[in-house]
Amino acid sequence: MAPASCALCQNAKAILKRPKTGQQICKECFFYVFETEVHHTILEAQLFKPGDKVAIGASGGKDSTVLAYVMKTLNDRYKYGLELFLLSIDEGITGYRDDSLETVKRNQQQYDMPLKILSYDELYGWTMDAIVSRIGKKNNCTFCGVFRRQALDRGASTLNVDHIVTGHNADDIAETVLMNIMRGDIARLGRCTVICTQGEDTIKRSKPFKYAYEKEIVMYAYFKKLDYFSTECIYSPDAYRGHARAFLKDLEAARPSAIIDIIHSGEAFEVKEEIKATQKAQQTCMRCGYMSSNELCKACTLLEGLERGMANSVITDRARRKMDELRPAPDILRTIPQYRSPLPAVSVEVAPQS
Amino acid sequence: MSSCGNPDSSEADALMPRRLKYGRSRDCVRCREKPGNIVIRHAVYCRDCFSPLVTLKFRKALQPSINASAGTSKRPRLKADGNLLMAFSGGLGSSLLLDIVHRIYFSNESVLNENEEPVGGKNHPRNADVWPSATVCYVEVCNAFPGMRDSTEELRTVVSQYPCFEYVATRIEDAFDRSWWLRVGGLPSFSQLSVDIGNPTSCDLSIISALFTPAERSPTDCLLAYLSSLPTQTAISTAIQTFIRILTLYTARSRGASHLLLGTSLTSLSISLISSISQGGGYTTREELQEEWTQSGIGSTEIAPTIRIVRPLRDVTMKECAAYARWNNITVVGKQRVPATTQGIHSLTKDFIVGLEKDYPSTVSTIARTCAKLAPKDAPKGSCLLCQRPMQHDIQEWKNRISIRSFGEAKLASDLHTPPNPHNNMPPPPLSSQSIDQTLSLTPHLCYSCHTTLTSRSSRGLKSTGSLPVPLPVWVSPPLLDSARVVNPDEDRGEVFQNRQPMRDAIAEYLLES
Amino acid sequence: MSSDTLTLKVEFGGGLELLFSNKRIRDVTIPAFVPGDSSVPSPESESIQPTSLKQADVTFLLHYLREKHLTDRPELFMEKDTVRPGILVLINDTDWELEGEGDYVLKDKDEIVLISTLHGG
Repeated sequence: MAPASCALCQNAKAILKRPKTGQQICKECFFYVFETEVHHTILEAQLFKPGDKVAIGASGGKDSTVLAYVMKTLNDRYKYGLELFLLSIDEGITGYRDDSLETVKRNQQQYDMPLKILSYDELYGWTMDAIVSRIGKKNNCTFCGVFRRQALDRGASTLNVDHIVTGHNADDIAETVLMNIMRGDIARLGRCTVICTQGEDTIKRSKPFKYAYEKEIVMYAYFKKLDYFSTECIYSPDAYRGHARAFLKDLEAARPSAIIDIIHSGEAFEVKEEIKATQKAQQTCMRCGYMSSNELCKACTLLEGLERGMANSVITDRARRKMDELRPAPDILRTIPQYRSPLPAVSVEVAPQS
Repeated sequence: MSSCGNPDSSEADALMPRRLKYGRSRDCVRCREKPGNIVIRHAVYCRDCFSPLVTLKFRKALQPSINASAGTSKRPRLKADGNLLMAFSGGLGSSLLLDIVHRIYFSNESVLNENEEPVGGKNHPRNADVWPSATVCYVEVCNAFPGMRDSTEELRTVVSQYPCFEYVATRIEDAFDRSWWLRVGGLPSFSQLSVDIGNPTSCDLSIISALFTPAERSPTDCLLAYLSSLPTQTAISTAIQTFIRILTLYTARSRGASHLLLGTSLTSLSISLISSISQGGGYTTREELQEEWTQSGIGSTEIAPTIRIVRPLRDVTMKECAAYARWNNITVVGKQRVPATTQGIHSLTKDFIVGLEKDYPSTVSTIARTCAKLAPKDAPKGSCLLCQRPMQHDIQEWKNRISIRSFGEAKLASDLHTPPNPHNNMPPPPLSSQSIDQTLSLTPHLCYSCHTTLTSRSSRGLKSTGSLPVPLPVWVSPPLLDSARVVNPDEDRGEVFQNRQPMRDAIAEYLLES
Repeated sequence: MSSDTLTLKVEFGGGLELLFSNKRIRDVTIPAFVPGDSSVPSPESESIQPTSLKQADVTFLLHYLREKHLTDRPELFMEKDTVRPGILVLINDTDWELEGEGDYVLKDKDEIVLISTLHGG
């Protein structure tokens, strides 16, 4: 059977089948459509303006490595005028994080970008290894997720960047839509397909790979010969998210467009007005100044739980309220440094933070 | 591990607490006297307390929707605007539906509520004459799948247990039967429209208009041609579901029904919600839960009545349905398994949800509850011609932006960077949807989900029938012709119909009913 | 009546009977003591003593039904060592979840009902 020619340029020989569209295309066209779709995503959402400083959340994994490469490529090609940084978080997981950090350092050389590494240890005084040895493997992902989120914001804040981009891909977002429906997390469901989120006191955070299939990211890295570290976190969560992921993969096998279709569904609905009104308003944490829906932000609450040896009892709202009633004086315990939010557009006389 | 077993109150990001055993005691939590016979989401019930609980949930889900408007009275007299139609499949849910509706609203039997007071039966003033008449509608699908048994008569026997219910049997091929369409009050169309689904490179769905000819294919042949041209197993299942829904709606309308009841259990509802979302149907999540349907786009001069689609069993899980059926002697003949080569999205979702329900029993109610809190983001742009549900704006624009399928896109031309391997000597690439005359394409008249059903392929592609254009269901043609200029290809200068009267005049002699 | 066997009444519903020669109700006789791994004894192996024995429980009954009476599509009946999700099991008219599910020790004249809920409408 004669080899098919590329469905896009009709010129070169087709050497791969695109997971997203099923089209048989050549390597050059694949690079082109992959990059251009990300470019369109960025343009449509008007994510950046010239002069923006953008931190790329870099874990050393395939998503962030390819993201760094593509951001650099597009920045050069279309002259976005962005100043790009690599920002990496060291959770303190021996064996796993050391190796991926090496990858990030290599990326820094290869892509010629400044790199900042922030660790849980310096920020919170606890590595993930220490946390897991204290609380076991049941709720460790809650801790890690909350701590990382704040860590990225803090790291970006010290670098003085305007924007953080993360490598969340279409598969991640589709999975999140399904998970939020299954868990009844209506607040997150209303936000999870929004490409660029920004709280009042946090830095803008975007997902340029929102419509990029995980398989295509892997393919891109493979053909471009980009190196990345690919192992699952050794403290992997329990079966539930795994079930949802497996289900998503089955759907994709039945019909590849399912991933995009789920994202489309997520974008098509929003939370009903009368429900929105009952959601909690944002305030700032009274201990560290980060944004929070309660008096204490999630990270401070979790940290206090760790410090007081009651870590597992602060996971739920009800338990946290109970603990709030018994709260000791703050200076006894280790706390998270004050969070300095991005300066407002209008210049205001503010005493420098110590 | 958090002690609360209910996933809703836990903020654990990745964990869902496993199912705990039922509470402390094995005795019924309601009467506290008898030992329990069944456990429903950690609560234990004895047989006698269980059944009234199910009928209570049934009434609570149904009764607020009966009267056209809520009114001021706290316990108003129930009176519907029109007749009742129940969709029946022979399955567990719909068998229960028939039995419970009969028991509460049409029989002389008395139904006891949770306080052992009689609330049901026709003799109770509240429940008498809510609906003047009741019809049971069954859609036989065996002609879509060679080898399937015809269950029409078997189900007629089941329905005959309820003498006041009239049995109406339709067939799935009626979707392509013009005489059925006229019988249910549809307006005729002078042209048999077909669509080109088979084109693998484009998602254009161009329409081919063919003259109304007597020597045409039978409805069954049209149905088989349509189904075999669909690109995935998922598409076949979804097409069948859509046809059943539309056929039932039109049947309901033709019987003057104000309410269409479905036997969807909580389990089935959650499955449909996730399945629909996985096929891009997020915009009509609300309609999956509760729908008010008006026959749209037909250009009828009479005021179109609204039919409310209600699922009274939507708070009752499959397990509860099975137990109720057993303990109340309801015979369930069952639905035949539809033959399929591979699993489509609906079937995969069913396996997933039923599997989850076993270990995390509140999953199905959480899914339904969460979806009930959602509303569509933007206002609709009319209705989809195929499924008759609200349609979003700019669907194709969105699809084209997300995936680049050809270099002919106008958008690309505006980019500074030129595509690789430019082929200067070759003719321009295949037409994108923008260059095809919009009026000749079905695409702008389809919602996201239906367009995806007809065009989205999988690697395990089904064999297509070839290049023959595929007939469209009978309800699609009239509004399409109404809205578009369609030129008759068999004549040099086709007549252009821009409004209905000349069209109607041209076909007046073919109309059987005025 | 031998005291080392149990006679049970087994009923199938909800379409499950189609996998068992369409016979809805049948009487089943099983040994009172069975291999600990729920393996079904065959005539050849009866003379070989298994390493451990347990009292016949519902898990064993399921294996037994699958081995001896199932005529079609075992994956629609059982998944690993238990019934496929979506099948309701009643022991003497009581939800098996209240009786310890597969670990329930069977008694003579027990009635077991297996109903599939998956062919719903």
